Amino acid sequence: MTQPSAFPPTRRMFLEHLAGVGGTPLLLAGMSALGFGIEARAATPPDLSGGAKGKSVVILGAGVAGLTSAYELSKAGYQVTLLEARDRVGGRSYSARKGTVQKELGGETQLCDFDDGYYINAGPWRIPYWHLGYLHYVRTFGVPVELFNNDNDHSYIYYKNGSGPLAGRAVRKQEVAADIRGYAAEILAKQINQGALDETMSKGDRELFLSYLRNEGYLTFKDFKYIGTEGRGPLVNPGAGLNPGVDSQPYALSDILHSKTWATLQSVAGYDQQRTMFQPVGGMDQLPFAFAKHLGPIIRKGHVVEQISQTPEKVTVAYKDAKGHKGVIVADYCIAAIPLSVLKGIDMQVSPAFKQAMSGVSYALVGKIGIQMKRRFWEENHAIYGGHIYYDDPMIGSISLPSTGWMGKKGVVLGYYQFGSSAAQVSAKSHKERLALAVAAGQKVFPEYAENAETAFSIAWHRVPFNLGGWAEWSTEGRKTAYPVLNEPDGRIYLAGEHLSYLTGWQEGGIESAWQQVDKIHKRVSA
Amino acid sequence: MGMKTIALAAAAALLAGPALAEDGATLFSQSCAACHQSKGQGIPGAFPALANNKFVQGPPEQVAHVILNGRGGMPKFSGDLTDEQIAAVASYVRGTWGNNSSTVAVSVVTAERNAADLPPPSDGQQAH
Repeated sequence: MTQPSAFPPTRRMFLEHLAGVGGTPLLLAGMSALGFGIEARAATPPDLSGGAKGKSVVILGAGVAGLTSAYELSKAGYQVTLLEARDRVGGRSYSARKGTVQKELGGETQLCDFDDGYYINAGPWRIPYWHLGYLHYVRTFGVPVELFNNDNDHSYIYYKNGSGPLAGRAVRKQEVAADIRGYAAEILAKQINQGALDETMSKGDRELFLSYLRNEGYLTFKDFKYIGTEGRGPLVNPGAGLNPGVDSQPYALSDILHSKTWATLQSVAGYDQQRTMFQPVGGMDQLPFAFAKHLGPIIRKGHVVEQISQTPEKVTVAYKDAKGHKGVIVADYCIAAIPLSVLKGIDMQVSPAFKQAMSGVSYALVGKIGIQMKRRFWEENHAIYGGHIYYDDPMIGSISLPSTGWMGKKGVVLGYYQFGSSAAQVSAKSHKERLALAVAAGQKVFPEYAENAETAFSIAWHRVPFNLGGWAEWSTEGRKTAYPVLNEPDGRIYLAGEHLSYLTGWQEGGIESAWQQVDKIHKRVSA
Repeated sequence: MGMKTIALAAAAALLAGPALAEDGATLFSQSCAACHQSKGQGIPGAFPALANNKFVQGPPEQVAHVILNGRGGMPKFSGDLTDEQIAAVASYVRGTWGNNSSTVAVSVVTAERNAADLPPPSDGQQAH
């Protein structure tokens, strides 16, 4: 999921700072001092060897963090019970398909009626190559994965808030990318050739920089002009016999600038958005399902936690099951792997400071809609295979095309992906109105959109019971004050989840947080 | 599209004076009702009720501050609603569903926005 830009400093940023002020030797010394080598991140679960000493752990929430905790602790010999409020596992790792029923607070209940085999990942939908914990379990359970196309050169940018001839129409991303790159290089090269850098750069550096610019911006060899490039896509593709193709002409620099389409070119350049990205074949919930298969009766679905209390010796969790029966589980330790947005509403016996810290974070408002299309017109008519259509209405955000079922019959398109107050506004609409909003937007980009839209499933995570939000959003202040408190146990109660990581909004955050907490419990038991 | 229409409506409502309450109601149903519910009743355990609410009827500065900056699970609206719109919706909520408090002046919202150094709403330009 897309992250807000204002990150507090991470360890990585601290190390980057060291590299900046002291160069690589200081950086490496810093890394040693922090206790890790070049490959800084844990790629495998903690070593929980040495026995569980008959201890028991009750885990709350069968999302990715709860499932990871339960799997590792039960493997290490602990007596584990995992309580899940819903009748399914996975939490936000969730795919809607035929028969999926989803109730929204204050809204309607939807029944997903996609055709068999079609789905939308309503929560997380892409796995970065460096999310080693997630990929560890993919390997462990043999979950089939496929590539997720997060960047498509041939996709469209539809920006209507700018001005000029490129505003308010679908423009190929590859054209904008090539042209703005070309013009920027040409302008720089011109400045250098006119002597702008004579004072500040050596002759040798200037010559190399000019070579770089010529290469970077597809400039003509002798006079450093951008006159277009085949990489922006030809008007007519080259072919056999007497067809050499027809070159396209660049847009005017001013037209690109005023269209603001250039604002999309950095969109997937971040570390967590770069190629290569993956997705499980058949839906994001396949990994939770694989965990559940291994955990078997350890998971008790339909158990809603009502109270968490503790003594110096034990933790007691009171629950109500799907039939309305109340019961308790008594264990040595508890891991509450429930979003803080939900947990803060549960009667929980922790210190006032801990309780206050739980309110020190806000949760992202997030909305998505999956629309089943009768045919894959984006592939058949537009040669767009996966990736995102960029759309500058925050109510829509992006329209994303499926990275599965290539060239098949139908497909489920992500019709919008919005955040914050835009998500609040869209979620106030009925499902039918949400679909109408999405279809009207899609129709501006694809003339085939409305006539092919068959059925849809929408979600507003802030209105989903047992989630109440997309993901945790820490302020700089919250990271300093509340965050450290919640990373440590309160008595026998530990928390885990994406909210206790610097990977908020990613399943990897939940997995690595779970690893950290089970390791703490095991060290305490082993001490 | 939607936002610009609302902005014009809000400006018109301000000029018209008495239409303010009605416009606040529209803004509420668009931007707030998804969580706080159509009659401000909220959802226990998830979204606080605004009806008969002490905080809502308290100092207008604090109400403006929360709408601009967000709080807990609530998003900030500083980038989506103008000061005029925030004043209209806050005034509406403070005078309905059992709330009986003064309207919020636009100047109060502007002062809070400036104090928090929040830029005004843009055209919805966003980089992904």
